[in-house]
Amino acid sequence: MGKGIKTFIKNAAPKAFNFLLFLVIWQLIVVVFKIKVFILPSPIRVLQHLFYPPIAAKYNWWLHVGATFMEVIVSFVATAIAGIFIAVMICWSPVMNQLLSPIIILFNSLPKIALAPLFLVWFGYGFLPNILVAFMVAFFPVVINSAAGLMAVEEDLLDLVNYLNATKAQIFIKIRIPNSLPYIFAGLKISATMCVVGSIVGEFIAADKGLGYLLRDAQAFIDTPTMFACLFLLSIIGLALFFAIGQLERLVMPWNRRREA
Amino acid sequence: MKKNGQKAKSAWCKKAVEAIQKNYRSVLVILGFFLLWEFSVVWFKVPEFVLPPPSAALKHLFIKQADANYNWPLHIRTTLQEFILGFCVTAVLGIGLAIIFVWSKKVKDMVLPLFTFINSLPIIAIAPLILLWMGYGIKTNILIAFLVSFFPVVINTMTGLDSIEDDLLDLIRYLNASKLQLFIKIRIPNSLPYIFSGLKICSTMSIVGAIVGEFIASDRGLGYIIISAQYTMSTPPIFSSLIVISLAGAGLYWVVALAERLIMPWAFKKEQKG
Repeated sequence: MGKGIKTFIKNAAPKAFNFLLFLVIWQLIVVVFKIKVFILPSPIRVLQHLFYPPIAAKYNWWLHVGATFMEVIVSFVATAIAGIFIAVMICWSPVMNQLLSPIIILFNSLPKIALAPLFLVWFGYGFLPNILVAFMVAFFPVVINSAAGLMAVEEDLLDLVNYLNATKAQIFIKIRIPNSLPYIFAGLKISATMCVVGSIVGEFIAADKGLGYLLRDAQAFIDTPTMFACLFLLSIIGLALFFAIGQLERLVMPWNRRREA
Repeated sequence: MKKNGQKAKSAWCKKAVEAIQKNYRSVLVILGFFLLWEFSVVWFKVPEFVLPPPSAALKHLFIKQADANYNWPLHIRTTLQEFILGFCVTAVLGIGLAIIFVWSKKVKDMVLPLFTFINSLPIIAIAPLILLWMGYGIKTNILIAFLVSFFPVVINTMTGLDSIEDDLLDLIRYLNASKLQLFIKIRIPNSLPYIFSGLKICSTMSIVGAIVGEFIASDRGLGYIIISAQYTMSTPPIFSSLIVISLAGAGLYWVVALAERLIMPWAFKKEQKG
């Protein structure tokens, strides 16, 4: 465990250093060239707006971050569960495969984000339509990746298992699902980014809270530091989800970790 | 000569028949989906503002409606312009920059992780910022489309340029090839499949960028129609726009796939044999 933390620090240190260097250069550029705040605020100014905001830009950060975070998490969990379930269904029954695959491939290539205003008409604004937008945007990559993983089993292995008289359920539990895990996690990582994108665009279009709403609101008042603070928080939400998936991946597929070492 | 032509023609026919045989089920399912939609809306008497039948969406597109009169050619042209220009700029800059980055291993090692990191961020969130910097108009939306679709292209191209078999590199070094030759004869042809898969992602992403830009602020374009139709709760124009957007996205995707077949026929020959 101690070793794990050590390697983590070893891996993360150069990245953290690069990030800090980037912030310092940014700060210097803004100060030296006297760039106006409403065009490009300095990092310090952004932090100031986050922690000690001026009266004109006093936002309830917890409320907005909480709203966006909830949307992202709920839609992500929903895409994970529904996506994997449907992928298993497609792989389980050839009839389902022929019925669902063309529709899923069709929808995957459509720009689903354009459906966002439609959800607004149907459900009014608030939590639900944003989750649905995020779900629509992030769902198809999970299904397609998981189904690809479930199908990509070596023929020889299937022959062997058939020879051993394995049931269909056994094939799924012991062969197909473990085999598809790397694909599923790749799909989930795409989904994590897409869920943030979907929630944000939903909030752009209509919402009364959330970071997407705040971005639009701050834009209307040409309050650039607040916008940068929103972008910063959004990135943190996305990265935290990404990191959590990575940790889960290591937990669920210990064999991969061993190979890495 | 004539015989040869006939042969080619019959081979082409055979190919077409094969394609139909392979795809007719998917086409049937998709057609069935739309028919089911049309009839269930009529059957259950769903109000039009909730879910219009596909036919109503088409009607709004081609026949002038009294209640929702949009200048369709203008809006379609605007969105297509943004979308196609966004795609072209991304393709040229993405592939060009990737080649420049991979030219030096040091630059590549620095840039690739950074870009992969940026690609995992929700880039679309900076759309309001770009609006603030540039005001609204076609240029803003092109820039948003570009930013959203740029990173997948660069990352894919760089990965493709970099994934050369070591044996091949050894052989080339042994033959004293110059760096330029290495790029033109080995790295670039090798990266073509990666480039095309990047461009396919780009073709869907750049339309997303253009539409979201139009959502946020614009006075024309299909995204603008969708938003203003949403205010008046008239759903058929929303669906008409969705149809046009989908067709545009699918059209560009198809062009990319066609270019792929033309530029690297060897990949598809192999497919046929196997």
